[in-house]
Amino acid sequence: KLNIDVDTIQHGVEGLAYLLTESSKLMISEIDFQDSIHVLGFSDELNTSLLQLYLDNRKEIRSILGELAPRLPSYHSLEWRLDVQLASRSLRQQIKPAVTMKLHLNQNEDQTAQVLQTDPATLLHLIQQLEQALGEMKTNHCRRIVRNMK
Amino acid sequence: ILDDPDLKDIDPTVLKHCHAAAATCILEAGKHKADISAISTCLEDCKLDKERIEQFCTEYQVFKTHRELVTVVSFSIGRSPLHITDVSWRLEYQIKNNQLHKTYQPSYLVTLNVENSDSGSHPDVSFSCTMEQLQDLVGKLKDAAKSLERATQM
Repeated sequence: KLNIDVDTIQHGVEGLAYLLTESSKLMISEIDFQDSIHVLGFSDELNTSLLQLYLDNRKEIRSILGELAPRLPSYHSLEWRLDVQLASRSLRQQIKPAVTMKLHLNQNEDQTAQVLQTDPATLLHLIQQLEQALGEMKTNHCRRIVRNMK
Repeated sequence: ILDDPDLKDIDPTVLKHCHAAAATCILEAGKHKADISAISTCLEDCKLDKERIEQFCTEYQVFKTHRELVTVVSFSIGRSPLHITDVSWRLEYQIKNNQLHKTYQPSYLVTLNVENSDSGSHPDVSFSCTMEQLQDLVGKLKDAAKSLERATQM
């Protein structure tokens, strides 16, 4: 329909894709984008269209690129249940409380579920440690770094 | 037992059998938390004479003081799902990666140290999460702890 050969179109599309992904990756400002494409010598109308294309799609491109980064399995959710062991093959008449949990994790589109168990003392220890972890974000040290990194 | 001079006239195989039988008897009694009368009744059913039963029960009484230790060991034997023993965490602030610059995202890396009842070691369970997700996790753990507390008060 365009009366141009396939190779030219392919190069055009690849070039456009490269331009948009690189710009989105680096999160460059409008002015920097305009300066960069000005070098290519296109018409002003084309430059404006390109800029608009960049701004419209930047967020989506960034979220897709974010998926490509190396990742560990990430937390999805946790189910828990209280159990009391009353007897076992080696010992009758027990009272052994335990917390059984199902940890749901996401890894690259797959969801895995792991069954884990812990005793009451360790549970309280876990809670204490993780609350400390949460508290760290609120310390002055972290706040200062977050502020200065932007 | 095999080196005991009083027993050297007895066939070692028989000695081993006796030792195993006595040990099994004691363990089974301990497992069921049987009292002396229950043990006596059981031994009577096995056609053991009165003198021997009395001797066994006396020895068992002695053993009872060591019973705590055996109970503790028996308590921990058995299959269970992977058991969490400890947790480590790391807070990081991501600045960029090779796919995306200026990410500016804090994230937690949590590792649950895990023990297997069979082999005693197992690769730890690690996962990353955002602050919100960690809050969700801690919230749920606290719910479990509260339930435990309520259950113990019943």
